[in-house]
Amino acid sequence: MPNRLKVAVSPHIHKPVSVSKIMWSVSLSLIPAGIAGAFIFGFPALWITVISLITAVTTEAVIQKLTNKKISIKDGSAFLTGLLLAYNLPPSVPFWIPVVGSFFSIAIGKMIFGGLGQNIFNPALAGRAFLMASWPSYMTSFTGPLKFDAVTSATPLALLKEGKPLGDVSYMDMFLGLRGGCIGEVCIIALLIGAAYLLFRRYINWQIPFTFILTVGLFTWICGPRGFLTGDGIFHVLSGGLILGAFFMATDYVTSPLTINGQIIFAFGCGLLTAIIRLWGGYPEGVSYAILIMNAATPIIDRFTKTRVYGIVRY
Amino acid sequence: MTEKQQNRCFQEFIKGIIRENPTFVLALGLCPTLAVSTSVSNAIGMGAASTFVLIGSNLIVSLIKKQIPEEIRIPCYIVIIATFVTVVELIMKAYSPALNRALGIYVPLIVVNCIVLGRAEAFASKRTFVHSFMDALGMGIGFTLALMIISIIREFFGFGKIINYPVSYNFHPALVIGMPAGALLVIGLLLGFFNLIKQKK
Amino acid sequence: MKGLIKYGMILGTICLISAGLLACVNLLTKERILAQINNEETASLKEIFPDAVSFSPVKQKDTILYYLAEDSHKNILGAAFKAHGKGYSSVIETMAGVTPDGTITAIKVLNQNETPGLGSRICEVEADTTIFEAMKGKAKQTTPKKPWFQEQFCNKNIDNFDSIEAITGATISSRAVITSVQKRAKEVLEMIKHNQ
Repeated sequence: MPNRLKVAVSPHIHKPVSVSKIMWSVSLSLIPAGIAGAFIFGFPALWITVISLITAVTTEAVIQKLTNKKISIKDGSAFLTGLLLAYNLPPSVPFWIPVVGSFFSIAIGKMIFGGLGQNIFNPALAGRAFLMASWPSYMTSFTGPLKFDAVTSATPLALLKEGKPLGDVSYMDMFLGLRGGCIGEVCIIALLIGAAYLLFRRYINWQIPFTFILTVGLFTWICGPRGFLTGDGIFHVLSGGLILGAFFMATDYVTSPLTINGQIIFAFGCGLLTAIIRLWGGYPEGVSYAILIMNAATPIIDRFTKTRVYGIVRY
Repeated sequence: MTEKQQNRCFQEFIKGIIRENPTFVLALGLCPTLAVSTSVSNAIGMGAASTFVLIGSNLIVSLIKKQIPEEIRIPCYIVIIATFVTVVELIMKAYSPALNRALGIYVPLIVVNCIVLGRAEAFASKRTFVHSFMDALGMGIGFTLALMIISIIREFFGFGKIINYPVSYNFHPALVIGMPAGALLVIGLLLGFFNLIKQKK
Repeated sequence: MKGLIKYGMILGTICLISAGLLACVNLLTKERILAQINNEETASLKEIFPDAVSFSPVKQKDTILYYLAEDSHKNILGAAFKAHGKGYSSVIETMAGVTPDGTITAIKVLNQNETPGLGSRICEVEADTTIFEAMKGKAKQTTPKKPWFQEQFCNKNIDNFDSIEAITGATISSRAVITSVQKRAKEVLEMIKHNQ
């Protein structure tokens, strides 16, 4: 297959794709997962998403107003950040968690660095990491699917970490999203519909998500609990926030490497770190931390993988 | 002392508080700042201990600066500083064991606090006795004030307390602000804030 | 070579003066530091066995293994002992009391150098007055509360430590206290049995 996404020196051919078009398309592609989340976890899930969106957009507008910058909330990037943050929250959190999280994502995760395109870390994930370190008790108590009585139940990954039996969660349940988890991460089928749309429109490429998911699957299969090649790779691929993270957060333009080779290294690192955190780390889930750590490594990956300018000696 | 000299002394004193604040402008001694700025009482204890060491070491260094050869000045300074730190630690253990316990390892670590060595090297080794004293006092107070500002913010947001009293029973503090990562965040934001004020001026 | 000797002399002189000064300060504060430590020790023993009148140290050579706590009728209430556990950044020294049937009466952390604000919360006392109440002068004059983490150990059997809640963000420090007290309590009970 010809490599159509090569980063090269000029001349460039203009393509009628703008930042705002991409942002709104990604947001649109995330809608099915949100609807599924609202259906699975009930009204609170919808409520949290709306609060998160409003806070994110308002924060961006207020900060741009205060710093005398052009207000750019129409480009959809703040909307997308708010949406992704909400999707990374358990449905049972109190209302102020998405408020603080969205504010942190936009103000500290993005605007402090100079706004869109300048941020080192994925803003939504920075917000989630802040919430996770600040209110671990709220961020790790989940409600079960289709039970609207707010009884806490552990996620499949948390059960695995504590060495408890998984119960009757089948692959099909996990695929459809009938399990405990964050609002937007549970319904794999809805996420895949959105991802297919983005892949089809070529807004994201297939290298990052596939390398990421494949690495997690293979690694967890190889390093199984009962020795070599005994792991349940499919379980690990379907559980936690892997699908959401791989398709919608690791592919963030700003915080992932520029070249295809760099992106593959980036995605491999994400996958490896995710698997390591899940298998041996302190937390049951590691997708968000893996992506954040690889975000930090992105500049150095770029440095070693960028296309050479013709005639210049390699250092 | 003439008025001009007095003015000069005052300048040496006041510069450490704002214009050359050790934490926010010189960015020296951040290690204890990250570690002990979790509560206002710790901050004051740490600030007082550091100020004492600063004054002591600055005075001695400025007194014997002519006798110390250039080549071995650093070990000489360190011995002097370490002496004062040990004195502080012994006194603290004898008269305020609770504070000593709260500050823990960071009291002996004042020895390697860059502010103390930095002032001995950059200031006291070149200046007079009186100026060195004023400089140490100013720097010590500047460091204490900086620690207090950071610790007030961290105590409030990280532990939900103001001077060891909880703000409300329903307030859920952001634990991360109380951790070292939160200290970096708070210091970074404060640095940015102070630079912003400076630019506006 | 000449310079080297000269430098050595200067540095040596500074070190000598420093050492002399420190020796003086040490001499002046030594008694007080020892007294402080002793005070704390008797105070913590009293805290652990409030009903006890006398504490007799049981020694092996020169090290104190544990203290036998006796009430006014010479009945043995239990044994107080020190446990040491490796925490996150220091060795945590805990004083604990155990009755002959294996119930912890109380524990008290004597020494720790854990991260301020995290691990050091094993000594945290829950305040019961908010700043607003304190400013209005409505401070409740109650007896000082004990640290909530340590309070959890009271009247728990040493085989039943699972219900003790670790501190959020300071699991290593909490575990260090729990396991060290448990291990040492078992050893002390074993020793008491042996001696009788």
